[in-house]
Amino acid sequence: MNTTANRIACWLLASALWQVAPAMQAQSADDESMPWFQQDAGTNKYAVIVTGAAASADIAERFRRWTRDLHSTLRDDYGYDGDNIRILIDEGQPLDGLTVSASSRVDDIADTLSTLQTEVDAGDQLSLFMIGHGSGTFGDAKFNNVGPDMTGADLASMLAGFTEQDIVIINTTSASFEFSRELSALGRVVVSATRSPSERYDPIFAGYMIAGLQDHTADLDRNGRVSILELFNYASGRVAGWYDEQGRLATENAVLDDTGDGLFSREPGATQADGLLAEIAYVDVIVPEAEKTSPQARALRVDMQGLEREIFILRNQKQNYLEDDYWRRLEALLIDLATRTRTYNALP
Amino acid sequence: MHCLKLIPLNWLRAAAVLAALTAAVAPSTLLAQEPATGLNPSSQELLDRGDELLLRGSYLAAIEVLSRVNDEFFQDQADLGLSRAHMETGQYAQAEAVLQRALDEPADHPELATRLAELYVMTGRSRQAEVVLAEVIDGQLNPPVRTLVQTGLVLALRGDRDAADVHFNAALARYDGGMVFESADVAMVAVAARQLDEFHDANALFSEAVRLDGNNIEALVLWGNLFQEKFNDQDAQTNYNEALEINRRYAPALVGLARIGSPERNLSRALEANSRNVAALQTFGELMIRNGREEEGLGFLRQALDINPESIPALATLAARAAMNDDMDEFEDLRARVNAFSPESASFYASIAEFLGNNYRFTEAVEYARRAIDRDPRNWHAHTVLGGNLVRLGEESEGKRHLEQAFDNDPFNVLTSNMLQVFDVLEEYATLESEHFRVNMSQRDAQVLWPYMEPLLEESWDRLVAKYRFEPEVPVVIQVFERTEDFAVRSVGLPDIGPLVGICFGKVVTLISPDTLSANWQEIVWHELVHVFTLQMTQNRMPRWLSEGISTWEERQGRPEWGRRQGLDLIRAVQQDRLLPVGNLNDGFTGANSNADLSFAYFQSYLVVEYIAEQYGFEDLLALIHEYAEIKDESDMFANVFGVDMDTFDAGFRAWIEQRVADINVYVHAEDSPDEGEGHGHGVRENSSAILAELYNNESLKQYMQGRVQREPRDFQAHLQLGIVLFREEAYNDAISHLRTAHELLPDYTGYPSPSLVLAQVYEAMGNEAAKREQLAIMLENQQHDFAAPVELAEHALQVGDLDQADYYVDRALAVNPYRPEIHRLGAELASRQGDTGRTVQAYEVLLTLDQSDPVAARTDLARAYLENSQRDEARMTVLRALETAPTYERAQQILLQAVESPEGD
Repeated sequence: MNTTANRIACWLLASALWQVAPAMQAQSADDESMPWFQQDAGTNKYAVIVTGAAASADIAERFRRWTRDLHSTLRDDYGYDGDNIRILIDEGQPLDGLTVSASSRVDDIADTLSTLQTEVDAGDQLSLFMIGHGSGTFGDAKFNNVGPDMTGADLASMLAGFTEQDIVIINTTSASFEFSRELSALGRVVVSATRSPSERYDPIFAGYMIAGLQDHTADLDRNGRVSILELFNYASGRVAGWYDEQGRLATENAVLDDTGDGLFSREPGATQADGLLAEIAYVDVIVPEAEKTSPQARALRVDMQGLEREIFILRNQKQNYLEDDYWRRLEALLIDLATRTRTYNALP
Repeated sequence: MHCLKLIPLNWLRAAAVLAALTAAVAPSTLLAQEPATGLNPSSQELLDRGDELLLRGSYLAAIEVLSRVNDEFFQDQADLGLSRAHMETGQYAQAEAVLQRALDEPADHPELATRLAELYVMTGRSRQAEVVLAEVIDGQLNPPVRTLVQTGLVLALRGDRDAADVHFNAALARYDGGMVFESADVAMVAVAARQLDEFHDANALFSEAVRLDGNNIEALVLWGNLFQEKFNDQDAQTNYNEALEINRRYAPALVGLARIGSPERNLSRALEANSRNVAALQTFGELMIRNGREEEGLGFLRQALDINPESIPALATLAARAAMNDDMDEFEDLRARVNAFSPESASFYASIAEFLGNNYRFTEAVEYARRAIDRDPRNWHAHTVLGGNLVRLGEESEGKRHLEQAFDNDPFNVLTSNMLQVFDVLEEYATLESEHFRVNMSQRDAQVLWPYMEPLLEESWDRLVAKYRFEPEVPVVIQVFERTEDFAVRSVGLPDIGPLVGICFGKVVTLISPDTLSANWQEIVWHELVHVFTLQMTQNRMPRWLSEGISTWEERQGRPEWGRRQGLDLIRAVQQDRLLPVGNLNDGFTGANSNADLSFAYFQSYLVVEYIAEQYGFEDLLALIHEYAEIKDESDMFANVFGVDMDTFDAGFRAWIEQRVADINVYVHAEDSPDEGEGHGHGVRENSSAILAELYNNESLKQYMQGRVQREPRDFQAHLQLGIVLFREEAYNDAISHLRTAHELLPDYTGYPSPSLVLAQVYEAMGNEAAKREQLAIMLENQQHDFAAPVELAEHALQVGDLDQADYYVDRALAVNPYRPEIHRLGAELASRQGDTGRTVQAYEVLLTLDQSDPVAARTDLARAYLENSQRDEARMTVLRALETAPTYERAQQILLQAVESPEGD
């Protein structure tokens, strides 16, 4: 039986290995023992931006702006092919020269995902961004779109066919929690802008999420890529800060689930049940590095990747070490890595 | 807690309510008329009716009805009612006559005898009370519970605590034996429990008494007194109000209510009902003395003591006042008077200690509180008073010990538990020390505020020591609280402190963290530190007006932009003849009814000090301070220093003010409301009329203001508002003209918005950034509480490479809000460009605390700063933490390698 501990151990290994491992295919959801988000330069990434109906003209304009900014950021800063980004918005009206695939009616969403399913390869990543209003109570959460509203179960069924792809769902709507919970599944990263049905005021999470993507602002570990975990931490931290600054009680608290158990975490990370998969789930399309020509450089690159792996492992086992011992070990590894990086950079 | 009580609404009540409503105007014969149930009421009916009238406060009618009871069987009850009616209206002699007439043998009439004893106590004859009560107890197998409890109270008053406890315990035993049924008796058992420090039981028993009889107003008030004694004003107030709903003239309830709020109104009502109520007279006396109305206060206290020469609170207030004035003969005389009936009374000394503490005489307060505890170690109130005053002297550990002792034995005292909770808060705080100061502040403030507070403290110390030629006792303790409630509790024991933002106790200063303020915190710190000097120079004897006046005056000496500029308020005060005589300036503080009143009290006190400094010189101001170190008449002090009497001094001050008003030479329209601000003058004061003009400018307002300007060309407010309206209409040149006129009329105006601020906005709208910055700079010459303008000016100065100007404005912004990351980023860049590596480190250290959005970058920046400041170990550890999160971050990697590689020459 595959336990959570086994999966975590598997992901620990995956997080350490992701740069050094050869191209690996994302695994079938039926095979729980295999890790997800094992991507390389050959992995295609797709984004579907679903923007629902708006309650007023002002809000509609905000939703359109977010949709536009998200599209251009993914395309310009994250390496997404424009054709791999699908916009489904409101009635399907044009959006400032961008290609709008369809409206965000339930049927159009289903059709788009169905079509997409035929285009993606195994191991590709599909990110679904939901912008708009949500509503609902326990067991009856809906995404407010034109025509009949879409439930979480509806969307879960539309995504069921993506068995060989890595799935990220970021639901930024109000009362998004119950809807998002329907989407939890092993190997998926699901983000909800709210943590309970009572959080029904329009969240500001989407704005900060896009700000975090822009200029790779959310890239806290400075590795040049933004992981879903980094993006989540950036946006949720900014949301909390905004409410704090306003002196208001936060009416939205974002949560994340990446263990498929439907139990979301407010502060995912190394010490929490959730966060390990989100840490290796990157928004960026992986761009092939310019290869160094010298054999020394290639050998050093392997060494550096090995060191990184050791650092990740040590960091994730921090609680097993005495404080001084941990820092001494980490320092040694970091000095080694820094020295090799300096040498590597100087090589042809 | 309270439960809802159902009061039977029968014909008696209806009649009594009617009687109560008309009591003030109707003749008593009318009130005493029986309801139409019969022409010859029985004695039982008369008794019931009389009691009901008494309960509702229809005292005259009650006396008349009860006097008509002529039945031996009901006579004792009628006499009890009669005596109570007389006692509650201050007719003590008549009450005594009624009781004496009925009493032949006290033991045969225990209730009447006990009432007589209570009357003796109320009129200062505790010895006689003791004798009467002893006769009852000796003559009765089971004396009434009330007799037992009143005996205990008399014995406690007379200093025989052990014997008192025997009687209190007897009352409790009676209750425990199931022999107490009546509400009135249960309330007496509650009193006994309270005396035995069984506060929880006392509360439960009072609750039971009120449940048994919702009309037991004595129980309601005694219960309220218990709440109030524990500083639970909310529940106390509920009880008093419930009692007053039953009898709106019940003086004990009105006195209780007066101790919570609206004291003059409630005490006046109490004295209307009973002009000889000792508690009301004594409370009024204390209030008057506290408000600086000494003679009136003494008059009330004398009246109280004429009625009850054994009133310990009244004697203690007089004794405390004598002690404050170093009049030890008077003190000893009062002490002897107390000793005559209550040898070395602990409550006498505790009350003196409390009074002295409330008047900033903490050292003496501690001394008297210790005497109270020596006499009665179980006086938990004295332990609380001692603990609180020790804390204000900086004697934290001993103070805490006494507070804990008080709390352990009296956990219901809100004041004690509040003060102890603040110790818990302080345990989480950092303790920081500089050469002359020991500071407690939150960990966050320790990171953010302390780097900027420490140099300010030591600068103020150096300057003030040199100026006042006096070195206060060190270390001066400063406590900076993040939560206003903690600041308030630490300062006054209770969580509401009004507009105050800092308090100096002489050796200890408490402050609200600048994080919760929108004001120049450096000015506030400076202000409070000046108090440290003036209070210690006079052993805390300086009156508040002068201490505040000097502190406020010193604000202006501290930095050019600090201090108060309230020219419009001054003109308005002169127009309205609101300036107080110098001899009455303390009334401005004690009698302030609003923030505006309090703010003006500070301002006028400051003006008096400025007058002294300007007309007589600083040396005379110093001499005046030294005068206050000794107890003298204030007019003698002024004569000694200035060579004139108070009236002459006051006349000189008035003339100086008139000249100042003439120099300001601005027209103030009677319709304009004064500027308003919080923090009693520390902070921006808003010009509400101008704000409204910004929001609702319209043609009629413009025409009205144009008319005002035509009539009075020096109408500052009209020019300002016209400028704002015209700016909104985008008539920029006309706006500039009026705003410049307003500025020229009153160049140091600091209200919000000021002419220079609006001018800056006009120039910004016109795209003239240079002119905008010029106006912001002008505004900042007199506005110390603004943050945005100095940031903007600092940014520009950095852009153009004017590092001195950037330095100045960064400091100005930090003096208002050191909690905003942007100012530290500017500070770091500035310091880096100045080559000041230490200051760069400081800025990045603060940034690491304040800006959590990008900890890797923040740590890397700080590590680089450490490295440049030759702090290699700190650089190494800081960059390791950055690389722990981001191991491949090459900028951080380079810093790590530099930190661990041997520096050149090693």
